[in-house]
Amino acid sequence: MKKIIFLSISSLLCFVLAAYNYGIFPSQASSLQEKSKGERIESNLENATQTPDTTKSPLAKEFTLLKSEVKKLTEAQAKESAEMRGIVPVRIEIPAINVKAPIEQVGILENGQMGVPEDTNSVGWFEPGAKPGGRGSSVLAGHVDSKTGPAIFFDLKKLKQGDEIIITDKNGAALTFVVNKQKSYQRNSAPINEIFQTTSGQNLNLITCSGVFDRTEGTHEERLVVFAELKKENLEKPVTPPEAPENVEVNGSFVTWHAVRKDNIVGYRIYRSEQKDGKFEQVGSISAHERKNFTDENAESYYYYVTSIDTLGKESKPSSIAKVK
Amino acid sequence: MNLKKLIVPALSVSLLIPTAGNVQAAEKPTVNTPASQLRADLDYLLSEHFVLAVTAMTKSYDGAKDAEAANKALDQNALDMTPAIASVYGEEGAAEFERIFREHNNYTDDLVNAAKEKDENARADAEKEVAEFVEEFSTFLSTATEGKLPKEAATEAVKVHEAQVLEVFDNYVEGDYKEANETFREGYKHMYVISDALSGAITTQMPEKFENTKSDTPAADLRSALNSLAAEHFALAATGMQKGFDQKKDYDFVSWAEDAHTSDFKAAIASIYGEEGAAQFEKVWQGNHINAQSEIVAATLEGDEAKAKEAKAKLDQFAMDFGAFLGAATAENLPAADAEKAIKAHEDLVRQTFDQYVAGDYDASYASFREGYKYMFGVGQALGGAIVTQMPDKFAGSEMPSDMPKTGFGGASESTSASAIALTGLGSLLAMSALFLFRRKSTNQ
Repeated sequence: MKKIIFLSISSLLCFVLAAYNYGIFPSQASSLQEKSKGERIESNLENATQTPDTTKSPLAKEFTLLKSEVKKLTEAQAKESAEMRGIVPVRIEIPAINVKAPIEQVGILENGQMGVPEDTNSVGWFEPGAKPGGRGSSVLAGHVDSKTGPAIFFDLKKLKQGDEIIITDKNGAALTFVVNKQKSYQRNSAPINEIFQTTSGQNLNLITCSGVFDRTEGTHEERLVVFAELKKENLEKPVTPPEAPENVEVNGSFVTWHAVRKDNIVGYRIYRSEQKDGKFEQVGSISAHERKNFTDENAESYYYYVTSIDTLGKESKPSSIAKVK
Repeated sequence: MNLKKLIVPALSVSLLIPTAGNVQAAEKPTVNTPASQLRADLDYLLSEHFVLAVTAMTKSYDGAKDAEAANKALDQNALDMTPAIASVYGEEGAAEFERIFREHNNYTDDLVNAAKEKDENARADAEKEVAEFVEEFSTFLSTATEGKLPKEAATEAVKVHEAQVLEVFDNYVEGDYKEANETFREGYKHMYVISDALSGAITTQMPEKFENTKSDTPAADLRSALNSLAAEHFALAATGMQKGFDQKKDYDFVSWAEDAHTSDFKAAIASIYGEEGAAQFEKVWQGNHINAQSEIVAATLEGDEAKAKEAKAKLDQFAMDFGAFLGAATAENLPAADAEKAIKAHEDLVRQTFDQYVAGDYDASYASFREGYKYMFGVGQALGGAIVTQMPDKFAGSEMPSDMPKTGFGGASESTSASAIALTGLGSLLAMSALFLFRRKSTNQ
């Protein structure tokens, strides 16, 4: 414990946030800010429930979604959009300067400073701010040195444009950021608003100390900030249509099939044709929660296939074609 | 499986005994004999035991809200067996039966707990208890029937049953719902094999008590086959509707079992009324019936009252259509109006079971389930009776002597007895092969 206190006091001095002087992050204001942030997340969730896919679209007219299904979908969509908003980082890798380190979450100290990692070989993520990959600039800070020698971000100043920074979450999802520029600021005049902004871009800023160590203030005179941006190809996710239903059979007046066991399936479309290679027309829609059968009094006169539909309205390929045996 | 094993010896015994020459004196075949009634009673109680055992175990494993009610229903089923046994073996025998049988229901608890806690030792202990039960119960059965149900046959029958219950449960726990439902259907049918063997043993043991009637006549077989099909429909309908309402993962697999059952029922109808009648049956059975029941579930989930009302109207339509179908098929031996009334009463019980389940009144729901399940055993009697009356020839051969005829006085003539046997044997063979075809179709599919 003593060691921790000692380390944190000494390292703390390294990371004096000018915010304290500027009054940007006084503790009262910070709690207010957190609250408004919470509200923003909630409103995002509400939006998720009202995405056109689940209520107003033609899809919603065709398939009935149960409340429990809507809830499940909402959660899935919230998760997806949370991923779009960024990941919770647990690990950083900077191949160019041979950094591989765990990430701790840090907040705002009582005196208004950004917290710092307890371990000089780990990196602190400013958790109240943007998530890596999320909107705005996510901020990570690491020590340049300890009392005894170089620490994790000692070589940060060597990073140049184009170097890559890889951030991973606990599930192994990785986002790659590309260094744009680096800049040093006097510790009292760093542009906090810019470095910690949460309104635009998908940026990652790395901070460490630089300049001469001021023994009277107990901290370095300057702060080095490395600015990086999300590498764009991370965002391009191919959207694949759902799988087609299997075991389609026609018995009596029933067309039956086996459900596609995915949470994002909203229902099935049934198509029929008089000829096997003729033009198939949709004759029915069955929602995911219903019994997986379609009733057709004249089923013996037709060929059938079934498709599955997901929440995005994507339709699977046709199942194999079935007829009364 | 043993289904064949148990049926084939019974058939070959029948085929070896030629019918008596005095055909004109034989009474018309009927489903209403004391022996047939005993078999139907055992059909009901034993198959309900299987259905409730599986339900109680899977619901307990899920920690479902109705698990306690399901277990109570299972115990009540065991208690209901006591008077049936007492009527044959007296109070003392019935008490012994009750002790052994009720206790074995407790093992299901142990098996469920072992599965929940993934405790292999507890599982092994429970399996040992089950094995002890098989031994004790089959000894009881063979002693009670004075060996008419040989201990070996009893052991085999009970062992298979216990293994099937376990297999359904294990597959359910593993999430292999297709296998679970397939085994459920097999295990369900096996109970009718047990009741057949047991009623055969009891009626052979006490012929006078059963007015010298047999439990394995073609008419009794038909009654039992229809009992099995009708009651399985009820069990699958009630279970499927609950699974649908709960949106359980195995809902679609119960639907699958329901469809497989429809195809069995269709085959049974085909064996009596031909393919065309069977195709007609299938359509009536599916559209405003199976489908309408599932629409009630969907409408309940969606809170769509108009849709629910529409689905209920479809069920009324089904009662009319199916009543008309049965009336026409049986040439009004089962009057269409009576059939309609009976079908409507059945649908009411299905809905009542479901509505009480939805309302969370589980004790009432299981009481309705048991009432609705028992109700189906009137189908075998009413419909089976009508069919047998309509086609007495198809179900003839029910009157069999217990001894060979004395067809000679030892004078010398081999030919006399040979031709007598040949003639009577031929009649018997024809009747029995018809029965055999029907049986194979209706039980072996």
